[in-house]
Amino acid sequence: MPATTVAKLIDTSLCIGCKACEVACQEWNEQEFTLGVFNNTYQTLPDLAPNFWNLIKFNEQVEDGANSWLMAKYQCMHCADPGCLKACPAPGAIVQLPNGIVDFRQENCIGCGYCITGCPFDVPRLSPTTKKVYKCSLCSDRVGAGMTPACIRTCPTNCLTFGSRTDLVELAAQRTEELKADGFQDAGVYDGPGVGGTNVLYVLKHASAPEKYGLPKDPRIPWTVSLWKGPLKWVANAAFLGTAVGALLHYLKFGPKETHDDEVH
Amino acid sequence: MKFIERFSFAERASHWISALCFLYAAFTGLALWSPRLFWLSGVFGGGETVRAWHPWAGLFFAIALGVMFRRWAKEMQLDEEDQVWLSKSALYAQNIEEGIPESGRFNAGQKMMFWLQSASAFFLLLSGVVIWFPEVAPRSLRLIAVLVHPASAAVSLVGIIVHFYMSTMAVPGSMGAMVRGKVSEGWARSHHGKWYREVTGR
Repeated sequence: MPATTVAKLIDTSLCIGCKACEVACQEWNEQEFTLGVFNNTYQTLPDLAPNFWNLIKFNEQVEDGANSWLMAKYQCMHCADPGCLKACPAPGAIVQLPNGIVDFRQENCIGCGYCITGCPFDVPRLSPTTKKVYKCSLCSDRVGAGMTPACIRTCPTNCLTFGSRTDLVELAAQRTEELKADGFQDAGVYDGPGVGGTNVLYVLKHASAPEKYGLPKDPRIPWTVSLWKGPLKWVANAAFLGTAVGALLHYLKFGPKETHDDEVH
Repeated sequence: MKFIERFSFAERASHWISALCFLYAAFTGLALWSPRLFWLSGVFGGGETVRAWHPWAGLFFAIALGVMFRRWAKEMQLDEEDQVWLSKSALYAQNIEEGIPESGRFNAGQKMMFWLQSASAFFLLLSGVVIWFPEVAPRSLRLIAVLVHPASAAVSLVGIIVHFYMSTMAVPGSMGAMVRGKVSEGWARSHHGKWYREVTGR
């Protein structure tokens, strides 16, 4: 039986910014919290960190003359076509599990940081102390043991749901319809079709403007990375082999250059 | 057999230091070029070591090449005879000597190699510094660098394969020139006639 693709649904309309998921993530993954700077927001840290894989972004908005937050949980999106994996040179450092989870295996990581450049969502973080890269594993250890990821297990509002991707796509569509019925005409699903679909799905009230939530508008593997790992590789490999074989054939056909009359003068 | 000094100690030292650094950077670069070549990293110290040392090898390569560049940039300028030489380079490749102008200390092909390696090293250095520090370099620069670095490396490597073939197989005597610094008079007259006459006054 083929493994079911698992997914996480984030219904941003239900997030109350309690940050319980952040704490659960830190606890389960045994991360030590490093204090950041206070920059006049309720957000825990300005950005993800090597030891902080799950951040609720408190995106401040002015809507209808009133201040509001567009909360958005921010973590690895577990792409079907992961840019990190495409860019990674070390076999086994980034693995895509049969259930769709994209996992970093630090014991194979060499700390080059190519995955950071390959990621369309700018998620992996390089630790200056261990020289390894870290990110959300969708609690692959818990999921492998039949449990729910820590963030989802702890969410008090049902903003987060875990399950098979097929089921969650349906649930996301249903939630979108409910939001539309509530008057949010712009509601929709954010699932990164440009990267083959993500296994983290969002329901957004303002689906036409995901950048309001701190999400990229049309996430794709950067074209320079695709070119580097695609056509450039084959052109260059052909050039290396062609030159070496050409040199060999040249020698066989023409031989070495001759030095004349060394003995005469 | 009489011998002429072709490369000074400083020239040979900078050449071989850059060559060794280049070889380490090239093989470890190939290890990082594709997961299929990652096994090469095991030969050069393991993945983490390769990631740590490749940039340093590249930096020392660039410094040693910089020494060569300062020394040679002037005499590597292409003159009108070099243009003629280049237009006849197909004859040169077929070991036909008639119709090709005599070369000075460096022939036009060597001059082209010099500029090719200098230019690719320049781009390798700039993009390499960006890739070295992914957590510091801005994303926009990194996106350009991951393309520029392997592309210039490929150009450089193709050039070095030719350079290696010329020096070890195609032109016997040139390895001795770069190792011991000396060539025979006949060698100088055969391959760099103009330089031979300048040096010997004959």
